[in-house]
Amino acid sequence: MSKALEVKNLRISFKVNEGTVKAVRDISFDLEKGETLCIVGESGSGKSVSAKAIMGLLAGNSIVEGGEIIYRGDDLLKYTERDFEKIRGNLITMIFQDPLSSLNPIMRVGKQMTEATILNGKVNRQNAKKDFNQKMQQIQKAMSASGCPSDRVHQNMSKLKAMVKTASTLESAYQLARDYTDSAVLSIDQMLVDVHENDLKLMKERFKELDEKLEKIWDPYLLSKEDKAFTSKLEALRTAENQYDGAHGDDLSAKLQTVQDSLKQALEQTQPDFFAIAYCHLYGDKNALTGKTVEQQNKIARPYLEEQYLGAFLKDLSAALHHAAQETIPWKEKAAKAIRQAMPQFENEKLDKAACEKAAKELSAIVDKSIDRLSLHQNTKATTFHTTMDKNLRRYFHGVGNNPKELKREAKQAAKIEKAAKRHADVGRATPAVLVDLDLTRRNMLNAMEQLAASYEEELAAGQSADFDAQAREMAEALRGMAYTMTNKVTRQVAYDKAIRIMEDVGIKEPRKRFKQYPFEFSGGMRQRIVIAIAVAANPEILICDEPTTALDVTIQAQILELINEVKKRRNISVIFITHDLGVVANMADRVAVMYAGKIVELGTARDIFYHPVHPYTWALLASMPDLDTKESLEAIQGTPPNMVYPPKGDAFAERNQYALAVDFEKEPPLFQVSETHWAATWLLHPKAPKIDPPKSVTDRIRRMRERGEAANGKS
Amino acid sequence: MENREPILQVRHLRQYFGRKDFKAVDDVSFDVYQGEVFGIVGESGCGKTTTGRAIIKLYNITGGEVFFKGQRISAGPRDFTDAIAAERKATAQRIEDLKKAGDSAGVQAEKQKLKAFIAEQKKAMEEARRDQKDCNKLYRERREKEIKEEYAKKLQGVSGDQKHALEHERDKLLHEAAHENLVTRMQMVFQDPISSLNPRMTVREIIAEGLRIQGIKDEKYINEQVYQMLEMVGLVREHADRYPHEFSGGQRQRIGIARAIIMKPDLIIADEPVSALDVSIQAQVINLLNNLRKEMGLTIVFIAHDLSVVKYFSDRIAVMYFGKMVELAGSDELFAHPMHPYTRSLLSAIPLPDPDYEQRRKRIVYQPALAHDYSKEGPTFREILPGHFVSCNSVEFERYKKEFGI
Repeated sequence: MSKALEVKNLRISFKVNEGTVKAVRDISFDLEKGETLCIVGESGSGKSVSAKAIMGLLAGNSIVEGGEIIYRGDDLLKYTERDFEKIRGNLITMIFQDPLSSLNPIMRVGKQMTEATILNGKVNRQNAKKDFNQKMQQIQKAMSASGCPSDRVHQNMSKLKAMVKTASTLESAYQLARDYTDSAVLSIDQMLVDVHENDLKLMKERFKELDEKLEKIWDPYLLSKEDKAFTSKLEALRTAENQYDGAHGDDLSAKLQTVQDSLKQALEQTQPDFFAIAYCHLYGDKNALTGKTVEQQNKIARPYLEEQYLGAFLKDLSAALHHAAQETIPWKEKAAKAIRQAMPQFENEKLDKAACEKAAKELSAIVDKSIDRLSLHQNTKATTFHTTMDKNLRRYFHGVGNNPKELKREAKQAAKIEKAAKRHADVGRATPAVLVDLDLTRRNMLNAMEQLAASYEEELAAGQSADFDAQAREMAEALRGMAYTMTNKVTRQVAYDKAIRIMEDVGIKEPRKRFKQYPFEFSGGMRQRIVIAIAVAANPEILICDEPTTALDVTIQAQILELINEVKKRRNISVIFITHDLGVVANMADRVAVMYAGKIVELGTARDIFYHPVHPYTWALLASMPDLDTKESLEAIQGTPPNMVYPPKGDAFAERNQYALAVDFEKEPPLFQVSETHWAATWLLHPKAPKIDPPKSVTDRIRRMRERGEAANGKS
Repeated sequence: MENREPILQVRHLRQYFGRKDFKAVDDVSFDVYQGEVFGIVGESGCGKTTTGRAIIKLYNITGGEVFFKGQRISAGPRDFTDAIAAERKATAQRIEDLKKAGDSAGVQAEKQKLKAFIAEQKKAMEEARRDQKDCNKLYRERREKEIKEEYAKKLQGVSGDQKHALEHERDKLLHEAAHENLVTRMQMVFQDPISSLNPRMTVREIIAEGLRIQGIKDEKYINEQVYQMLEMVGLVREHADRYPHEFSGGQRQRIGIARAIIMKPDLIIADEPVSALDVSIQAQVINLLNNLRKEMGLTIVFIAHDLSVVKYFSDRIAVMYFGKMVELAGSDELFAHPMHPYTRSLLSAIPLPDPDYEQRRKRIVYQPALAHDYSKEGPTFREILPGHFVSCNSVEFERYKKEFGI
């Protein structure tokens, strides 16, 4: 599995009247593709803040003090609002806690659902067009530079352009038909249930819906109208429909079943190789492909393409890539050297403004030239180098820390606090200054430099190892992807169809009627379904759910959870699920992160956390929640979470922790590794710590769970 | 449990809203016994909150009766108007028949009978209205009468000092009874601790408000009571002069509870008191309610949708579905033998903190149209096991009995 998202040493605080609230204090986690990570914790533990940072939705008074959120090789914390617009609601989407406040009350739900699809479609098309043309130009340039004759370059490019465009047109039609087929299969599922209701009116409606879908499933590469076997099945279904009188639906359900089976079969067919087929259509023998199955077409088209065009083209492209990479090597050497030279300047306690800014500017210029723009795998350390340096320098020299006025105020306040402390009065009334940690900003810059130089040196030392042929293939594939988005025009009708299909997916009955209604006409559960539908409509890679079921009751909650799980499975989405309900966590999570006072205190798989919890806070959470067998009095966690304006010294949980050691009040525990997948931040795991068992209620519960598990296994 | 005295009796409670008679609560009957926790569960919109509010007279109920400590505190007029309408229709039919037969004397008699019936119903309705309005006064009068009768019996055959002491005792009780306010012995704790506290009042004012409304003016007494209540719910005296926004959710809910218990209630209606709170705070509030119940001998009607909390906290649980009560049983019994398909579906939806169990858990979907066949016979509330009631018709009744081997 590969990582969909990585969060490293994230630190966020909020400026408030009393000072700065340290909301997130140095958390790191990663999210695998297709997994669900649950973040558990009390309110104020920083779980929502971390999620909002990923979405770029932090409030205006927030300060990102450090860390990285790596997504697709980029650091999201360095994104501007415009950059975020490309991924927010598109690649990363979010479901909020309160479905009422996350929908616009004066817009019909249909419009809210299609809005994003249409807007994104437009933007995506434009962006893809831009990217595609840019990449083509770069390739052309690089090819010429690598010594390929100019007429060959020209021929290569024009053929590629035409082929890619034809392929993507074919593909988008095919995908649409496929989606409708998928949806028809689902409707038949529903009809097979409804048949038993013996309700003619209901079934008539269902027939109508199904027919609308069946009209749109025709595509030469999926189900062709010439396919006699299938059309005869459809005919049979139509007759059965007409004969249906509202009762005895056995005949009808048999017919439905056969049609559904063929649809499913069609969906399982091999995917046509549009790239190759398009080439045959354009430059080859068109007739060779007619009347063949998809598999046969693939078999004919692929070798033809390889032989006629792709082999030679890929060779040229590979040479071009090689050339481009070669060209940057001296610059890389230069950059690494320059960085190493400049580093001592930044190691001083106090930086010299003019010199540092000049050095940074020069370095940025060199690094900029050392980036291989053609490569699909950009070195993020290099691409973000300029912004990192710029931002940190600006913060260092223009931040409040160096402002004489601010320093004066700070001195005043320090005196005030001291005075208050002497009187043992409430220190909280005196406001501490907000200061930029100069040392930290300096270290941030040094880090960026060190990492970049190290990565370049490593790369240079490894020498020429990249497989340019593979890269060339990848590039061709990427170009095709761009072209696909380019031709895939999202019209209002397409968006409507898509919205209706997704509404069906999330279990909203009569979607056509519901499409025109306002949010207030929906119940709480239905509203949350709409929100989920909007979130998944864009086919996101990451779905963030911020307590999506806290406002709902058990039955609806169960439905929504099932729905999210199903959608996740079907679309292979990674989910970050934030909740404080451990029951829900057990249901959803592959892995669990327990957060307390802005830190992850325990991280592990769901089984680790529920069957072998090691952190006292996790114990306390488990013990304070009644389950169906609890009889004895609940062990509530005493007190409340600490005020994070003044984070306590040592372990933040120590005050409420009945197992706290003396060291807990002095020093923060690091993350100890318990097993391969399991970490916890508690001094109890230190080899010198006394051995403490979890409280009895927790061990009892784990024992009960084991017994229940064994009993169930015995049965099955 | 049967020999215990019911503190609250709800009979055929109906609560309709709007001109179209939206049936929020439809024919619900149950008893709550002294000292128990009675849980009501169901999905949102099933009428559990409305039931709670109707009991505490926040609504004028549409039909049925509510008895608290033996005194009818509310009664709906719809039962009587329905009866009159039905009688009118039946009489009209009979008169039609009699007219056809040419029996004019019979017609007159029928008319007289109808008139008498209407007068009777109207009288009952008037009585219901009076009970609803003057339940405090009526309860006082009844208590006074009871005390007088009791002591009249005791006073017979005693004399001298003993008689004097008894008389003194009686007078004290009479005095108390004369100042008793029945409806204040029932208090409510609301779901949302933020919106249920007035942001412009200090905690002291919020908690003392009930006492002041009762006409108590003794500042010292009020303050003492407020401090006592604050300490009882685990807050400190210093909190009295703060405003609600200075507290966390759990503390606010404690203030809500303090406000309820300062009236020394016998019955608390807790409407989702922990739903809006964090897990760890939930446990604190539940433990608090549990302690108060032991210390003060409270009876609690606990309305919630979190079944594991209800199971933990309640002695008996009622399951509601769309305004109707579908099952009522002791909490262990209900979870061990859920009979109504809705109850089963509800129980199958509870997520537990156990990943393996969650993997195995299969949710049962309740589809009323498929689960019941009420075309021939409608459901009624029947007792299957002692203390275990299910809404079913006779076919289902037999089936449930067979399924559970009774």
